Amino acid sequence: MGARSKMMVFSRLSVALQRRFGRQRLRKIILGSIPFLFFITIWHANTVFGWLPPVFVPTIGEVWEAIFFLQEDCPGFVPLIKLDNDCMMTTHILSSLGRVILATVIGLPAGIALGVVAGMSRPISKFLEPVGVFANSISGIAWIPLAIVWFGVGWVTTLFIMLNTIFWLMFFNSMLGVRSIAKVYEDSILTMGGSRWDVVTQVYLPGAMPSIITGMRMSMGFGWRALIAAEMIGGDSGLGFMIFTSAAEFKIEEVFLGVIIMAIIFMGTDKFLLAPLEKWTVERWGLVWKPS
Amino acid sequence: MNKLIPKLVVEGLSHHYPDEYTGESVHALEDINLELYEGELVSVVGPSGCGKSTLLNILAGLLPYNIGVASVDGEVITGPGPDRGVVFQEHAILPWRTVARNIGHGLEIRKIPEKERNKTVQDFINLVGLTGFEDKYPHELSGGMKQRCQVARTLCADPVVMLMDEPFAAVDAQTRITLQEELNRIAMATKKTILFITHAVDEAAFLGDRCLVFSARPGRLKEIVKIDIPREKRVWADMNTDAVFIAARDKILASVREEVSVAVEE
Repeated sequence: MGARSKMMVFSRLSVALQRRFGRQRLRKIILGSIPFLFFITIWHANTVFGWLPPVFVPTIGEVWEAIFFLQEDCPGFVPLIKLDNDCMMTTHILSSLGRVILATVIGLPAGIALGVVAGMSRPISKFLEPVGVFANSISGIAWIPLAIVWFGVGWVTTLFIMLNTIFWLMFFNSMLGVRSIAKVYEDSILTMGGSRWDVVTQVYLPGAMPSIITGMRMSMGFGWRALIAAEMIGGDSGLGFMIFTSAAEFKIEEVFLGVIIMAIIFMGTDKFLLAPLEKWTVERWGLVWKPS
Repeated sequence: MNKLIPKLVVEGLSHHYPDEYTGESVHALEDINLELYEGELVSVVGPSGCGKSTLLNILAGLLPYNIGVASVDGEVITGPGPDRGVVFQEHAILPWRTVARNIGHGLEIRKIPEKERNKTVQDFINLVGLTGFEDKYPHELSGGMKQRCQVARTLCADPVVMLMDEPFAAVDAQTRITLQEELNRIAMATKKTILFITHAVDEAAFLGDRCLVFSARPGRLKEIVKIDIPREKRVWADMNTDAVFIAARDKILASVREEVSVAVEE
């Protein structure tokens, strides 16, 4: 194939890709992947040139094979979702995810509800805010030693650490969100004969959405980090537990695998849950600046 | 139409409130007496700080008062209620509701089924000229359209009295003229009883059947100017040569300017 026809193929491919994804999105995908490609290249170059010994940095192939090694004794799909301990990787993923979901299901509505109440009532916010500041000043992981004493090593401790982190973040963000709403919206509901409850559901909750979504982002970030730390010290399963025990056994490829899985799950929740939520609420309502 | 029984009555209303920062007592309103009859549009003008917005907030039920009595249809005002609709100066329509859902909000609060609601909502959308914008969100509308949407929302809730607080103050001059003519047309079509607060003398004279001039703080009812022009004749193109309009406007203007100079000297 000549240079000319190669160029033709390339430009046709480029046009096809642009049609498929749209120019802007394609640019975003390409620009966003460059740092990752750079990182992977350096990683592979390390294996080829041997800058750092394999004890510190495994090869890409070893990390890939670690998946199969960890799942080696897994007898199939049913034991996998039953958290059969022979499916090592999926068991750890599912128990981390299980805690994230459980902590979110409890902590998110509770934090939003109390935050909204504190945002609309001065006496209640005077009552709750100092406790909140106190609890927030102690970083999530500082609770781990105490939680281990109280609840022992396992599910309750890890769940408690994550819940504690999520709850206060949602509480403060919802409270500030409600306080930032223009009073005229509330007045307009009341003068149409609306009740307090109408004001809560139709003004406070949607009006605090930009702040609530920020709170969810922070909860995901800080909560996930706190969870991993809690699983390392106070857990008996989960991705944090997995990388901690693997490192102790010098299975460095499993540590790399664990870290990559965490990052993928985290990026997934942002892209498939938070970003769409933002798009269909606050962006649609014109409440936030939209990148072009 | 019974002209003898007023829809809105204010008797001996005075209002003092403590200044938020200095704590001094501010005397905002002094012995206000007024009556609004059915189908009447009464405008209120006065220098800034004369308490006209305070009056509106009291009538809306958003501000508690303790000296004097204000009532609508014989019922003393003790808090906000659907018998008094308010059109606010700022854009008070909810950003998270479409135009149609904003306009139907009052009916929704009253738990009127969606099917019944839709017909009424569409009528008001057409009345204010927002046809085709039903499913837009407020941030997609111009300033003038947002205020039309607010007027439609208030009317759609079918209040006994509509209170308007400088609703066209934040839109550009061209749009304001259009909105004033539209409000005149809407007042004619719906025969609503309207209290219209403004600081613009032209606007007060153009829209009001009567115009109440307020004195500088503490706000007192200084003068009532009658503007005897039938609604169907009120179009801006004719007003500049209309002797009745010019006379009324000049009278209001002179009265307000006196008060502005008093306010400045103080």
